Formats: sequence, structure tokens, C-alpha cells
Amino acid sequence: MRAGFPLPDVNWEPTRGFWQAAQRRELQMPRCERCGLINWYPPPRCRACECESLGWSSLSGRATLFSWSHVSRALFDGYASKAPYITGLVALEEDPRVRLVTLLVDCLPEDLTIDMPVEVVFRVLEFPDVEGSVIAPMFRPHS
Amino acid sequence: MGRPAAASWGFASDLDDIAGEVAIVGVGEAEHSKASGRGSHEIAVEAIEAALADAGMEIADIDGIMFSPAMGDQLDEQAFRERFGVQHELWTSHQGGGMVWAGTAPHAAARAIRSGAASTILNVFSVAWATQRSSMTGGPGQFHADEQFKANLEIPFGWFPQPVYFSTIARRHMAEYGTRPEQLGSVAISARRHANGHPGAVMRDKALSLEDYLSRPMLADPLRVEDCCLISDGGAAYIMTSTERARDLAKTPVVVSGVGEGHSGSGAYWSQQGDFTATPQVFSAPRAFAMAGIAPSDVDLLTLYDPFTIVTLMQIEDMGFCDKGEGGAFVQGGRLDFDAGGLPTNTHGGMLSHAYVLGISHVVEVVRQLRGEAANQVADAEIGVYGGYTGHMASTLVLTTES
Ligand SMILES: [Zn+2]
Repeated sequence: MRAGFPLPDVNWEPTRGFWQAAQRRELQMPRCERCGLINWYPPPRCRACECESLGWSSLSGRATLFSWSHVSRALFDGYASKAPYITGLVALEEDPRVRLVTLLVDCLPEDLTIDMPVEVVFRVLEFPDVEGSVIAPMFRPHS
Repeated sequence: MGRPAAASWGFASDLDDIAGEVAIVGVGEAEHSKASGRGSHEIAVEAIEAALADAGMEIADIDGIMFSPAMGDQLDEQAFRERFGVQHELWTSHQGGGMVWAGTAPHAAARAIRSGAASTILNVFSVAWATQRSSMTGGPGQFHADEQFKANLEIPFGWFPQPVYFSTIARRHMAEYGTRPEQLGSVAISARRHANGHPGAVMRDKALSLEDYLSRPMLADPLRVEDCCLISDGGAAYIMTSTERARDLAKTPVVVSGVGEGHSGSGAYWSQQGDFTATPQVFSAPRAFAMAGIAPSDVDLLTLYDPFTIVTLMQIEDMGFCDKGEGGAFVQGGRLDFDAGGLPTNTHGGMLSHAYVLGISHVVEVVRQLRGEAANQVADAEIGVYGGYTGHMASTLVLTTES
């Protein structure tokens, strides 16, 4: 397993723009410069029109809660310090077919309902015994 | 929210018609157990020897071997030769093993036999994951942890490993269709009841009631421990030859009547699958049923790749045994039991309660049912189906008695 796990490798080219934007507290995904489709996960060319011009494009950070899992005891070693936690998928306002994997924060499991509005917050993500940290987009119920 | 049109999120492979060309003539299993300290090769050898004995064959009769090199330390051609002292020519294929390939291997074998490349082909799969887990050297999560998009976009957010993926899918299924915990529980309980009646099942001595199920702690809410498959050591093998030749062999031939293979367009990334609460059985099963000339209502028993209860339930819907979203009602109250008059499913206990050998024992079970040799025998079973699943792929194998 890569050193730093479970932190992301922020220098891995296909997702570097996502993590660089997050360090600036922005949510960005690759958008096709020809047809406008948000392409997630980042592909080499647009899934709709095969255009190779994909630019990192800022998103509103508004979404709906597509689904989630409440993990009371971590199921892999790297995440033991985070449990209990709520991880899930949010469907983006700009295109609800695009789902972002994220952590749900500032809420209890009983606060959550499917398709409820959520909004991005940027938080430091770090793990004991793992060097370094990143700022990561997480989501909370829309206030 | 409307459902995406099926065509928008996946597709079926074009498989040429091999209906009736080959039969499964020998099946064998190694002992299924918790951590045994054995290696996967030793386990595979035990399964192969059992399959040969079942078929009334010698090792010299095998001139083709199928395995899955991508999945851990499988018995490959070289190891097969060394273990059995085999010198003769062998046709080999990497399109074998468990998961979806437990269902599609008979198609590749039929083509090889048709072309004359081989006459008698073995498919084998084994795992020592219970042993490996105790030494932390591998196991089912490793593939996902090594995948770069998962490592950089999913694992940092704790969306890992498989129980977390499938609890997220289960919750969405519950929200879209009203599927209830006791309906998922019914899948687990039917599997357990079958394991209790099966001498080779890992969970043969452990009963499970609905009350037990509902009182179990959440592993990844809404999935409980009993919604998740076992981790075990074990293996199985089956032997295929032409249907014509099969008629001269020891056991009643079980004929390969239809094969299908379906794919999700989003690959191994569940998070992006167009229809999040479906499986590529939507694409696979209709092709296999068409090749076999059957309808879902003709099927006497089913074995389904069942890493989680929700995967059993979704495949039943996606294969057309009920309407999409009606799976909960279809399975509840023990309707998957072998003797309940519903649709007997995973009559050996499945991966939930029999053994975690990734589907190859599911094919063995269908064969035994169609021969009338099963531990939990379905009365008058003539058509049995295996549904294979590998996340972004599904397969469907229709087996029949000779008409
Ligand atoms: Zn485009």
C-alpha cells in the first residue's frame, strides 16, 4: 500500500486539479470545453463528444444527498481514527448524474434523508501516524 | 426521479450461440473452512481430484484448463502440470475461475471444443482468503485499494471497502423502492437455512432467525454482519466436454443451454453507475435466456453470486424474475427456500452461508440440483441458472437436463 494511505496522492495527474482546487477551498471537476459535460471520474477525453479539451471548472458546491453509509467501526485500518463516520454520495446541482464520494459532517445519521439538500464545506483531512494532510470537500445539510 | 434507460448505462457482449454444444460432466469441491493454513494451490488440487472422481475421469483426460490469473494465487498451467505430473498438450484460458467467469467459462470452453483445440476442459478456482486475512497479506479489498481513482477519490473519504459500497446501494434501493431490513434479512435466512442442510457449508451448524438477524449490530448501516458474505478458504472445479461425449460418461449430463455477459459503462466505479440500484444482469440475463429459449418463469432454481443480500435481491429483479423494485416482496418470508414454492435460490447457502469461493460452488450446486443429487433438493429441477457478478460485469449461465 502506498505511503500516505489513506490520504490521496495529490500529484496523481488525473485528479490533481480536484485536489489543487480543494486546497484553495474550491470544488472543481473537469468540464468539456466543447459540449459542457462534467466528466467524472476524470477521463482522457469527453465521454459525450470525445473532445480532448477538458478544463477544471468551478462548481457551486450545492448538491443533494444521493445515499450514504453510517460506519460505526472502521472496516479498514487507515480509517480507525475516524469512526464512527458517515460516508456517501452527493449528486451535484449542475448535473445530478455526477456523484461525488464525500464525508457527511456536522450532522447525525438521524438528521439525514435521501435527496435532501447539502452544501460543501472544506475541512482538513488528516490521519494519525500518516504524514501530511489535505483540505478536502465534505458536505453538510444545507442550512 | 426517473430511471435511466437501460441502454444508457451498460451493454451486453455479443456471444455466439453455443446452446446444447457442451455439458458439465464432473463437479468437485475442496473442503470449505475458516482459516485452514492451506495454500490456494493445495485447495485447488483437492477440488480437481474431486471433480475427476465425480466424472469418472483420469487426469490424462483433461486437455484444457481455465483459471483466473488476475485473482490471487490461482493454480495456473505450470502449477497444474507440476502438481499432477501432466506432460501432454494443454489448451489454456485465462477466462475461467469464479465470479462472472464461473458463468462464462462454459462459453469459451464450447468454442474451444468446437474448434478442436480441446475436448475436455477443467475450470478451477480456489481461495485461501481466511488464511491470508489472518496474516494481512491480501484478501478481497486489495484490488480496490490498489486502484488509483478509488485510492484518490473514494478511500480518502472512507468509502471503502465492499460493505460500505453495498450499504450505500442498499440504502438507495430502500429509498427508491421501499425495500425493508426484514426483506434483506429473508435473503440471509434462506441462505442460512440451506447451509444448515448442506454438509459442506461453513455455516452448517449455525442457525439464523429473523429475530437473530434484526438484533445483529450494523456493520455499515443499513447492512448487518449477516448481510455480508463469509470469508473462507475453499475451492471448486468443474469439467466440461461435448454433449455428445457426455452421454457416455458416468453422470447424467448437465447441458449448457445459454450464456450471457453484461457490462456497466462506468466500469468498476459503483459511485458513477448510471442505474445505481441495478446490476448488469439487466443486459446479461435476457441474452442467456434467449439463447436457451426460456423465460424467467421456466427456471426451477437459481444460484446468485451473493457478496451481500442486496446483490441477490437486485439480481432477481434485474434478471426479470419480478419487476424492478419488487425484489423485497419477492424474497420475503422465506420465498427463496428450496421447498417453499417460490424461487429456490442459493440452495447450498451461497457466499453468505456456504462458502466464499466466488461463485464457482454456485455452478457446482446447479449441476447437483439438475442431477437430483443436492443436499436441499428442489423437486423435479430441470432448468437451473447461475447469476455471476463482478461489480461492473454480470454473467448468466443456463443449465438444463437433457430434454
Ligand atoms: Zn464533450
